[in-house]
Amino acid sequence: MTHPSTITKEQLAAFADGELSPEEAAAIVMHLADHPDDQAYVDGVMAANLALARAFAAPLQEPIPDCIAAMLLPEAGRSAGTTANIVAFPKPNRTRLTFAAVVSAGLAVAATVAAVAIYPTLGPNLSVGPVAGNSALLKILSETASGEAVPFGPGRELTILASLPAKTGDCREFEVVSTGQRQIQIGLACQDGQGWVLDVLLAETMAADMVPSDTFAPASGEDIGALDLWLDRRGAGVVMTSSQEAERIAAGWAQP
Amino acid sequence: MLNFLTELWNRKPTEALLFSKQQVKATRMTDQFSEIAFRTELVGIVPKLRRFAYSLCGNRQDADDLVQGACEKALKNRDQFQDGGRMDSWMYRIVQNLWLDDRRRNKVRGTAIDPDDAYLSDEGKAANLPEDRMMLAQVRTAMAALPEGQRDVLALVAIEGLSYKEAAETLNVPVGTVMSRLSRARETLLPRLGLAEGRRQ
Repeated sequence: MTHPSTITKEQLAAFADGELSPEEAAAIVMHLADHPDDQAYVDGVMAANLALARAFAAPLQEPIPDCIAAMLLPEAGRSAGTTANIVAFPKPNRTRLTFAAVVSAGLAVAATVAAVAIYPTLGPNLSVGPVAGNSALLKILSETASGEAVPFGPGRELTILASLPAKTGDCREFEVVSTGQRQIQIGLACQDGQGWVLDVLLAETMAADMVPSDTFAPASGEDIGALDLWLDRRGAGVVMTSSQEAERIAAGWAQP
Repeated sequence: MLNFLTELWNRKPTEALLFSKQQVKATRMTDQFSEIAFRTELVGIVPKLRRFAYSLCGNRQDADDLVQGACEKALKNRDQFQDGGRMDSWMYRIVQNLWLDDRRRNKVRGTAIDPDDAYLSDEGKAANLPEDRMMLAQVRTAMAALPEGQRDVLALVAIEGLSYKEAAETLNVPVGTVMSRLSRARETLLPRLGLAEGRRQ
């Protein structure tokens, strides 16, 4: 037997929208068991929410229009062709460097680094913004441990450098080395509740006398500092240990 | 130098600083990094802004024009954005204000739905079956028929996933207004989509 309802439509909608506390939601669940009309309304609201999200989802799967990207990142195109000297990046399993170490590293390479271009750039296969659902980058971010170089297109390798917890979700730093184009990119991808988002992509061109190998020079202070700014904005903490990272990978990077 | 850069980054703008020649150079770099960080964060939310604008305008071209205008306004008024604040909420507000301004200026009472937008805009990405595409087109048409005040609040909550409180702050209205507008929007929308309205009004 159903009883007259004291639950309003606004409360039912709030339940469907995830606005209620666990206690309030539990009370609604109990109520719905005896009120099929209200259950149907909640189902309708949820179905409408889902349909709305799908109906307008197309822009999330598309690259940013050139006119908007050019306006926001006017230096992107210029940096892609820069001839700045190489600034190699730390190799796998690095930790976030202490300021003292970074400054020392910066001084060490100061004599050989004439100019460093640090601009967000849009690589041929990578773009700042949400990471596409079926992309190679998403697969690597989701499944690959730090330090493991993974083929990433012809003549390119992607290596996850480090994983860090952050306020909005976990973040992963990575580098893409393109031997043929003599270019190195470092990027930062973070989780924002709806999936991985590529926050920034920095590009460097290797110097003429640079031989790509495992014997990279240390990073300059400016480079590390630039990436740290994005990490700081995400509220990133200390780099995860290998075991912590393995646990996060096994958990599918789901928030605890 | 990075020590100084980081110190500067974390320092409150109101705190006084004495600059040496080297520090002035570092300051310029920090400003540059800050500008790049701002622009990059903005780029990162452009897909969501395009989705929000699309749900308001009902067609892709107007939506992208709206987002472009909003980004221009954001760059001009960058000093109004507080570091540490939610850029998406700030940008949603700019997009919504520009959209309302455009509608008032053009005295547009209805939303122009391009048939291509309604039926084919996702090129099958969101819907593979023809009947599924028809259903999503029906959703876009129903959304476009809602009054402005209901459409933007429904877009923020149901599509952008904002909480009632976040939507209220973005639109600068009380939470109760958000709830009542949502309720009215759903009273109109659900029957048009063939979904249950519930027994009570």
